[in-house]
Amino acid sequence: MKLVAIVGSNNQVSYNRLLIEFIAKHYPKFHLEKLEVRELPLFNEDIAGVTPAVVEKWTKKINKSDGIIIACPEYNHSVTAALKNAIEWMSYQVHPLKQKPIMILGASTYPQGSSRAQLHLRQILNSPGVDANVFQGQEFLLGQAKTAFDQSNEISDPKTVSFLDDCLQAFAVFVKKVKRGNKGGK
Amino acid sequence: MKLAAIVGTNASHSYNRQLLQYMQRHFADLAQIEVLEINQLPLFQKSLPRDQQSAVWSFKQAIKTADGVIFSSPEYDHSIPAALKSAIEWLSYHCELLDNKPTMIVGASYGPQGSARAQEHLRQILASPDLNAAVLSGNEFLLGNVATVFNEQGELTDKAAVAELEKYFTNFVSFTKLLNQRSPQAALMAIKQPLISEAFVQFPTGKLSLQQIQQIFSTMPFEVDFIDATDHFSWFSDKAERVHVRSVNSLGETVQECHPPLAVPAVEKIISSFKSGEKNLVERCLTLQGHKILIRYYAIRDVNGHYLGTMEFTGNVDHLYELFKNGSFAADVTTGASKKAADSTDSTDAATGASQLDTAASAQPTTSTAPAAPDTTTGASQHQE
Repeated sequence: MKLVAIVGSNNQVSYNRLLIEFIAKHYPKFHLEKLEVRELPLFNEDIAGVTPAVVEKWTKKINKSDGIIIACPEYNHSVTAALKNAIEWMSYQVHPLKQKPIMILGASTYPQGSSRAQLHLRQILNSPGVDANVFQGQEFLLGQAKTAFDQSNEISDPKTVSFLDDCLQAFAVFVKKVKRGNKGGK
Repeated sequence: MKLAAIVGTNASHSYNRQLLQYMQRHFADLAQIEVLEINQLPLFQKSLPRDQQSAVWSFKQAIKTADGVIFSSPEYDHSIPAALKSAIEWLSYHCELLDNKPTMIVGASYGPQGSARAQEHLRQILASPDLNAAVLSGNEFLLGNVATVFNEQGELTDKAAVAELEKYFTNFVSFTKLLNQRSPQAALMAIKQPLISEAFVQFPTGKLSLQQIQQIFSTMPFEVDFIDATDHFSWFSDKAERVHVRSVNSLGETVQECHPPLAVPAVEKIISSFKSGEKNLVERCLTLQGHKILIRYYAIRDVNGHYLGTMEFTGNVDHLYELFKNGSFAADVTTGASKKAADSTDSTDAATGASQLDTAASAQPTTSTAPAAPDTTTGASQHQE
């Protein structure tokens, strides 16, 4: 299985990036490749016909992957402009997210663990221009992120690690199912 | 009433821009609407260097000085555009520019929904604690099928939509007036009429009532700004027709916040030279819109020499210059004691050596038709607009 992970913050220090790096380290079977939203220029619909090389790169990597994990911080009760920006690029001239299995998770320094931003992201990914196949039923919300990671950037609470594992295993099943369905359809 | 209207997209063609421009004309009698673009703003990033934040600073100043804000948002993927979200993030990071600011949301879209879902997200975003805008509830203006509702002159042709917009905007004007009753203007009134006007300050050289002090500062021909020892803009004299128009909304800001990003290094340099004791005075001469402007920055110290803050002393010296040119100081008709003063009128302050003539500004012709020289040192200057 080949998954892509999108870090939804363009900040130099990000608990959402730590979360992605934690998953990449402990789940080698996902062959997780990390994409950083800060690589992308600010979206402008005036570009007319010219897709930036970095957007082409993202499109290729996403097309080759079986699914995507998005780590979503919360700014002002919604997704970050930097993450929304990435989705706008992926829903204008190229549409690599169409029917792609996507898992949303997120970390925040407050107890809510980016819950409101995750709900907005779900709505955005369900819009016709994006049309992603968003995994539902399991929500991973990592609150109090400042204390959730230990000094070696491991999640210190075993229950949290175990719940993350449940979520990821369920997502892996979902990804396989979608893949089989796509093959069956052809 | 002054309103800032934010075009919610960075696209060069936008019906939301057209809608705001229409409102600007149509409601000209009710409010002065400034249409603000977000297409110059960089994508929000916490660590973006200050010298790349000039556009952000200007945008924030425009919001700060507005009595209310109007957002016109398109809908991208069932939410607001990243460019607008980014602008909003700038307005909430290390500042509270929308806090309790009267705010109205409108929006236009090609489809029949009129950006309804984006507007709903925008409402939720503006209600978040770091923004806490006072958004007018109800009064949802959703302009759908937008490609068919404007004529070639940019006028809204849908009469029902115009009537609706008029109703909502009138409500917004009342809402804004109501909320602003207790805000900066009220604070300024309190300054003009100190509550304890009978109180006085006993100086070593006599006493003045608070009211007298207030009126002296309003009357003297130079304007005075004060930055305290912790580098916060803490006071300005409310002289009429200031060279640098200040707003009570800027009080309490750090020097880094209240100056344009490109001017910050020069200001920091002056203040640090005062703090270190290296200098006590920095002088600048500028030509602004054809007027001769003298700015002197003084280190204010206690009797032991400890730094208390920086005073910026600014005035239009056209009159002094005319007096000097007409020879008003030439003849010493009385005591002879003023001879010395007359001799030194046209020299820079040689004692301090701190004179820093602004070469760009002093190269400007001094006729009244001269273009305004940009004042790159001082922050809240409205002449730059």
